[in-house]
Amino acid sequence: MTEIIDQHQEGKRDVTFRVFRFNPQVDSKPYFDDYTISAERGITVLRSLNYIKEHVDATLSFRAFCQAGICGSCGMRVNGISKLACTSQVWDELDKCREPGIIRVEPLRSLPMIKDLIVDMDPLVDKMTRYSNWIDSTMPLADMGKKEFLISEEEFQQYDKATDCILCASCVSECSILRANKEYVSPAVLLKSYRMNVDSRDGIHDLRLAELVKDHGVWDCTHCYRCQESCVKSIPIMEAIHAIREDALESRGPRDTSGAKHAEAFMEDIEKKGKLVEATLPIRTNGVVWTLRNLLPMAMKMIVKRRTPPPPPLVKSAKGIKIFRAMFREMTEHVKQDHLKSHKK
Amino acid sequence: MKPFDIVIVGGGGAGLYAAMEAMKTNPALNIAVLSKVYPNRSHTSAAQGGANAALANKAKDDSVEMHIFDTIKGSDYLADQDAVDVLCSEAPKIIRELENIGTPWSRMEDNTIAQRPFGGAGRPRCCYCADKTGHTILQTLYEQCLRKGVLFFNEYFALNLSVHGSRSRGLIAMNMKTGKVEAFPAKTVIFATGGYAKMYWNRSSNAAGNTGDGQAIAYRAGIPMKDMEFVQFHPTGLRKSGLLVTEGARGEGGYLINKDGERFMARYAKEKMELGPRDLVSRSIETEILEGRGFDSPAGKYIHLDLRHLGADLIKSRLPQIREMSLNFEGVDPIEEPIPIRPTAHYSMGGIDTDNFGRTVMDGVYAAGECACVSVHGANRLGGNSLLDILVFGRIAGHTAAEEAGKFEPGSISEEELRESVEEIRTRMQPSGHYERYGALREELGQTLALNVGIFRESSLLHKGIQDIAELKERFKKVRVFDSSDVFNTNLQQVLELKNMLDLAETVAVGALAREESRGSHTRIDFPVRDDEKWHKHTLATLVDGKAIPGEKPVTMGRYELQERTY
Amino acid sequence: MKRYAYYMSCINESMTKEVDRSIDFWQKDLGLEFVKLHEGTCCGGSNLDYVSPKHFALVNARNIALAEKMGLDLVVSCNTCLMTIRTAKKKLDETPALKKEVNDILKKEGLEYRGTSEVRHLLWVLVDDVGLDTIKAKVTVPLKNYRIAPFYGCHILRPSTVLGRDNPLAPSSLDQLIEALGGQTIPFEHKNRCCGFHTLLVAEEESLNVAAEALEEAINSKADFIVTPCPLCHTVLDGYQSKALKQAHIDSSIPVFHISEMVGLALGYTAKQLGIKRHIVC
Ligand SMILES: Cc1cc2nc3c(=O)[nH]c(=O)nc-3n(C[C@H](O)[C@H](O)[C@H](O)COP(=O)(O)OP(=O)(O)OC[C@H]3O[C@@H](n4cnc5c(N)ncnc54)[C@H](O)[C@@H]3O)c2cc1C
Ligand code: SF4
Ligand code: SF4
Ligand code: FES
Repeated sequence: MTEIIDQHQEGKRDVTFRVFRFNPQVDSKPYFDDYTISAERGITVLRSLNYIKEHVDATLSFRAFCQAGICGSCGMRVNGISKLACTSQVWDELDKCREPGIIRVEPLRSLPMIKDLIVDMDPLVDKMTRYSNWIDSTMPLADMGKKEFLISEEEFQQYDKATDCILCASCVSECSILRANKEYVSPAVLLKSYRMNVDSRDGIHDLRLAELVKDHGVWDCTHCYRCQESCVKSIPIMEAIHAIREDALESRGPRDTSGAKHAEAFMEDIEKKGKLVEATLPIRTNGVVWTLRNLLPMAMKMIVKRRTPPPPPLVKSAKGIKIFRAMFREMTEHVKQDHLKSHKK
Repeated sequence: MKPFDIVIVGGGGAGLYAAMEAMKTNPALNIAVLSKVYPNRSHTSAAQGGANAALANKAKDDSVEMHIFDTIKGSDYLADQDAVDVLCSEAPKIIRELENIGTPWSRMEDNTIAQRPFGGAGRPRCCYCADKTGHTILQTLYEQCLRKGVLFFNEYFALNLSVHGSRSRGLIAMNMKTGKVEAFPAKTVIFATGGYAKMYWNRSSNAAGNTGDGQAIAYRAGIPMKDMEFVQFHPTGLRKSGLLVTEGARGEGGYLINKDGERFMARYAKEKMELGPRDLVSRSIETEILEGRGFDSPAGKYIHLDLRHLGADLIKSRLPQIREMSLNFEGVDPIEEPIPIRPTAHYSMGGIDTDNFGRTVMDGVYAAGECACVSVHGANRLGGNSLLDILVFGRIAGHTAAEEAGKFEPGSISEEELRESVEEIRTRMQPSGHYERYGALREELGQTLALNVGIFRESSLLHKGIQDIAELKERFKKVRVFDSSDVFNTNLQQVLELKNMLDLAETVAVGALAREESRGSHTRIDFPVRDDEKWHKHTLATLVDGKAIPGEKPVTMGRYELQERTY
Repeated sequence: MKRYAYYMSCINESMTKEVDRSIDFWQKDLGLEFVKLHEGTCCGGSNLDYVSPKHFALVNARNIALAEKMGLDLVVSCNTCLMTIRTAKKKLDETPALKKEVNDILKKEGLEYRGTSEVRHLLWVLVDDVGLDTIKAKVTVPLKNYRIAPFYGCHILRPSTVLGRDNPLAPSSLDQLIEALGGQTIPFEHKNRCCGFHTLLVAEEESLNVAAEALEEAINSKADFIVTPCPLCHTVLDGYQSKALKQAHIDSSIPVFHISEMVGLALGYTAKQLGIKRHIVC
């Protein structure tokens, strides 16, 4: 009998939750409240917050619904990282505290605050609308519900992972560019846009892409991979972003936008010299006027410090560039063949 | 606010399909969808298994007729056969329609929609998208609603129906972001608020918000509830949260073990052991616990689901989700330790009484989805039929409301009425003296339901349950809302949800006491067999002067005669 | 002597020449010999990957094959080059068809990509191969009394499926190096954040905001300087610093060093020798 009792003496630890508080009706600025509770092994951050709300402070406000990691309601920052409270184990978080025994809980970033841990999701929904995050079906109305599209496993694989997204906004909260500009499309919306664009049932690929290449769109992403790293469903978001860019270059050409020109410049330089010609990159990306206006003052400082990149003629080609070029061009032929093949299909 | 033609309460699968269909039926209509959570958060997203439709992609000899029969048999002959006809014959069309607008169904080798076997179905007809079927259906519907510009009122909490005489004039709801109580005058209202199985609280697999709000609102407005006693239990819920451990764990060879270390299923199903049907396994686990062979813990009694003998490799490759759930919600790694589990309330067959077009007895009020009872599930729902139900009847309700909205006068809701709703809320915020904690009440409600109105039912237990519920209702009057702010008052919302659960719990218990037989999910120890003579009928519960008045309704029969339900 | 093939990043040959120059000063002191890959070509930044995935694979298979030919691991001192080449390596190792296609072309130059050489960052070589104790023993001018903000940057941490050396949420290698050199690391929220480099020319305002946030934290926490393992981060945080801070209305400045310079200083080389005078902020 004692053995059985021992078995159920679940370990307990005292844990302090340092929770971000803000009620716009009474507080002029946010503050933190500390709640110390005894937490047993296996308890999640969400259950702890529920406990605090029920037993300690009923005014503490947060969202939660499924409690099973599928509805996306409970996105918040735990110990500084955006994640789902309902799938985060308290004991695991204890290992990540900056101050021992104190778990910090804060709202997601880059979305307007409403109260305590609750932020406004409307900006995200608005962006989903702006970027047509839906399938505009090519099935004629008369055939709807009567016929199936035939979808290959290969196509399904392209968007399978992307449809895991539960719109929890963790990636949105972690995004570097969104922090800098709230107009930015956002990683989750890029992911969804990608998912729609590779779906053969959809008929507005070009329209969606045209919107994506505009300002605040796909070219503004700074490849920091924070979104991907924090995705609660481990979705490779950057692959989606890269795929949209690849598609943009192919469908709209390399001279379409400054982002496209910038990307394409790498290809040109590598083929020519095997090295990047940094000095002319600004001009090739944004033109002469922009470069003069934006970079001249800095260029002056750079010149003084001899930090300016060398002008194109002085960029030394990589050793053995001739043979490299031949190989590079051979690959270009391969790529051309690939395209022909895929078009035939 | 400008009167609406249709106000839809609920943004799950049923609500969203209703909205889409209503817009299609009559694009000129002024339609609003209210939801207490963003629509994509609705509980439809939790459905993993799939949705049934006799597409015959997998089993070429499958047919709508076979689907109909399986459903009727599964319902223990309590489903209305004309309604089941509608459900199953619309199924292929609706699954294809979803496919046409973007649902990423998994595929067969010939690139058609994939299908797999599911409990109680004679053919593999469950269409799925990996293990995220509900999630992807809900996403598709939400996307399409955004495309069509459906007017959403997200994070609005429905409070009351405004009723004048025999018809509704619209809905009263609270904007969570501002705390303001707002009027939604409307010609028609469709309830699509999902199930009520969360009243079993920690003994339920449902989302925290599956509190039966729509049913409770309709009930208080005098609309009858039907077959409320039928609640489906799933054998393997996690001990602490009630969350579901899917059938896969047993399918791969997991053992159920009691505290004496026995594989006790040998006592109940010698051959099938752990793979017996859901209700049998649930009852067996419950018996072990009741007879003292369960484990005990502060979080309640339980038994072990042991996967360790399967080995780390198999667990990692074939059951990764189950391992993740167990780690995330119990802190237990099934490679090293058994998972603590017990049966969990999973689905509510009962709900708002409607006809096959989604109409309730009240003019201009409709219902669809898990909150409605048409009835297509009768005494027991088949896996994969619920998603189908919400889609088919969501669409039908949307269509009917759109067609009929013109018949009704535009609604209007007086300031007076709004003020009453606000008053009701305000009084909860400032009672003095002794007060009750809503958290405790909620938990006690779940406990008494699980114990007395749970898997095994019996007259004295049910009386105890009814008495407990009455006492909880009394105590609820003293519940205090501590958060006095207007902005996103989740404290207030949870208290109002508790009220809804308490109102409905009474109908569940009263229905269970009345039904003196065992049928489908309803097991009476004191009446262990199905009694078709006395009980082949639906039960109704109608609120009259604060009391649940029982009623009944015949079951619509058709091609299939009553038979014993054996598998 | 530990020998490595050393990848010459484009930026280190143009804007941040002091990186390679600093390494040249101290490599022998730490028992390292870096063999420069003069035949190496631009890795494609984070762009070639999607502009043309196949060229991307070819170019970087070649970069690695050059090191393999010498039987050496490839060392990189730029985060983005590191991430890019490692990404290509992962794809090549996981996709036999691609590896074959690439090798068929590489044959022309007598090269073959086999997947035998590791691709590693200079920082990892210092911490893991040279070792903190050896470094400590070699320090002649400890960075005592300096409060240093460690700025890891993105592409030495993320995607962790490709990098994998440090915990991307709580990296420690740079902190350890700083401490081995006698410096004091400060808690720095932005340590694993982004510098904004890759969109400087496409979304300048956003990029500078990103940089300004990191600079502001370092300044507010009274750091003496920021140190980074990446010349791209260095370029933004140093070269664009005044512009970024001006945009953010912050009237202050803070020096920024590449790890190669910080090591040089602690091993007794002068700022002048190392080329630190060429920094915009110093
Ligand atoms: C774990 C689990 C697995 C399941 N798996 C399957 C399966 O494999 N196959 C299957 O067929 N079925 C399955 N089911 C059942 C099925 O998922 C549900 O029955 C179905 O999704 C219910 O859909 P609904 O549209 O009726 O309601 P829900 O999706 O629950 O939506 C209810 C909506 O009403 C809103 N609402 C509620 N109250 C209010 C209020 N007061 N004010 C405003 N809005 C309100 C909510 O915000 C929500 O938008 C499963 C259920 C669970 C719990
Ligand atoms: S990689 Fe792009 S989208 Fe992702 S977080 Fe960084 S800037 Fe944002
Ligand atoms: S992409 Fe991942 S982190 Fe971002 S919203 Fe979707 S599930 Fe959440
Ligand atoms: S509560 Fe649904 S994801 Fe956490």
